[in-house]
Amino acid sequence: MQAFRYESSPDPIRPDLAEAYRGAWEHIASPGTWLDGATRVAVADATRRARDCALCQRRREALSLVAVKGEHDGAGALAPPLLDAIHRITTNAARLGEPWLRGLFEQGLTAEEYVEALGVAVQTLSIDRFHHALGLPPEPLPEPRPGTPSRVRPEGLVEGEAWVPLQDARRFASELGLPVGRAPYVIRALSLVPDEVRAWQRLSAVQYLAPAQMLRFGASGARALDRSQIELMAGRVSALNECFY
Amino acid sequence: MLRASIQSKGAEADLRGISKGAKAGDAGIAHGEKLARFAEAAVSGDPAELATARDALRDAAGSPALVDAAAVVGNFERMVRIADGTGIPLDGVVEALSGDFREELGLEGYASRRLLGTGAIARALAPLLRGAFRFGLGLAGRRAGSR
Repeated sequence: MQAFRYESSPDPIRPDLAEAYRGAWEHIASPGTWLDGATRVAVADATRRARDCALCQRRREALSLVAVKGEHDGAGALAPPLLDAIHRITTNAARLGEPWLRGLFEQGLTAEEYVEALGVAVQTLSIDRFHHALGLPPEPLPEPRPGTPSRVRPEGLVEGEAWVPLQDARRFASELGLPVGRAPYVIRALSLVPDEVRAWQRLSAVQYLAPAQMLRFGASGARALDRSQIELMAGRVSALNECFY
Repeated sequence: MLRASIQSKGAEADLRGISKGAKAGDAGIAHGEKLARFAEAAVSGDPAELATARDALRDAAGSPALVDAAAVVGNFERMVRIADGTGIPLDGVVEALSGDFREELGLEGYASRRLLGTGAIARALAPLLRGAFRFGLGLAGRRAGSR
């Protein structure tokens, strides 16, 4: 059966949103660059379970994360460092730090796997939060597709600007066809795995704005909200998440 | 981006809706209070608060606006985690343009604060840059309005 049908939604859902969400589910279920389809769907599942994880709940309430030990709910489906990454990103992102991430890398998680899993987790989360906001049940996760990851590492990576390697700003802007000469950090953040950048951009184009519209500050596309209303929502959600960026 | 979108209409930006949310009222934005309350309930409210906020926004602005608002919530729940999960700093231009309101909004106290450190010259030129940016936005807004 087709996913994201929204027949029971009291509020009509724009067809471009449903189509983009179906595309995201297809992307999540398919073999990625470093993770196979089964692992990617397991990452999506872990993202959903993190909200109810008892360890994450205790850590959210603790003054110091170091003092709270234990095991995340759902242990076993993913390697421990990958599971910890997904749960922390989902439930306590504002308190992440480079030493924590270096610790996960020392446990065997690679930067490439981390970036890809982060991409899968945040796509899942953004669709789930849309459903939650509208009072709709979460969409069942897709069945993993068979196949092997492509394992292609991009050239022109820059170290030291962030916690993970990034593609060069000019090169990546050109690769994505951006209307600016240098890709901003937020677009380069997942550029170690470019397919994950393209995937979140497809979602962003329907949930927020297409890249070409972002720098036209009076533009809101064909949305029912005007640009100021959109940016108020954007700023408030970022502030509630204590996101400096 | 909120400030730029308001200034492009030639109006004064009131950013309290970001830091104080629904408590700031509409803050010069149509349905601003209801939008902020919906954002707050969707991110951290209980089911009853969310249902109330959703109904209020739908009644005031309509179903299409509610769906768009939910989509923006989803979008920024994703984007904040991409930024926080990779440790990216603010871009230099954004750092210069936002210097005057970061403290006002309480952003400087966030654990996720990461700046490039644009240097003394950039800090000195920042007010000029902000003025030029504002002039450009106003010009673009007037041109768009005259079409």
